Amino acid sequence: MSSNFVTMIVTLVIWIGVFFYLLRLDRKVKKLEKK
Amino acid sequence: MLWKIFLLIWMCGVVVAAFLLPAPQSQLGEVSRIFFFHVPMAWVAVLSFLISFVFSILYLRKKEITYDVKASIASRLGLLFAILATISGSIFAKSTWGSFWNWDPRETSIFILLLIYGAYFALRSAVESEERKATLSSVYAILAFVTVPFLVFVVPRVYQSLHPTDSVINTKFHLQMPPPILATFLASLIGFTFLFIWMFKLECEINEISNKLTEE
Repeated sequence: MSSNFVTMIVTLVIWIGVFFYLLRLDRKVKKLEKK
Repeated sequence: MLWKIFLLIWMCGVVVAAFLLPAPQSQLGEVSRIFFFHVPMAWVAVLSFLISFVFSILYLRKKEITYDVKASIASRLGLLFAILATISGSIFAKSTWGSFWNWDPRETSIFILLLIYGAYFALRSAVESEERKATLSSVYAILAFVTVPFLVFVVPRVYQSLHPTDSVINTKFHLQMPPPILATFLASLIGFTFLFIWMFKLECEINEISNKLTEE
């Protein structure tokens, strides 16, 4: 496997992690707002 | 919610394209792919500082505390993206110039910018009175933004620098990238901008909720 491909996978995992963290935070904030 | 999922797919597309397309500057090797992330991060940092500047002016004109809170959130995000741009830049520096930090004019100017905005938060934490804090930090944010175009765009072009200056626009002010690379670069700029908008809105909402909770 080329190093480019490995870097791409690692970058994708980081991005997906950041997005899911933000999505979870967003959902929690929306819930608190409703309360 | 839907646009946030779309943004995730969009950014994943950008990452895949950034690694599958040929390197944007073949003479600099594979590390030049960092350009697809480094430049948008720097762009978002400048955009955040501009937003902080606008909200600071609005606070001084209308004296509404929400403007000061928004200015501080924008500065915080600006500082975050400026740090990320500095880190990605120093990874590029290590690979092309042999060391993470060279005190090159570009590196020195971004370091000064980080210190200026770091001092903004030191100032905010040093003043207890809400109104005084808001007024002082708004004036400071306006003065801090005056240095941004100078430190980001002028200094690295006036002094001889190792940093590539014509990677986006050449000396004749023309975009000089092959269409697929330009499209990926613009898609990354758009993606990062929307990511910033999302983070900014989220921070504003969190701040509002915590204010309500402390009032209760």
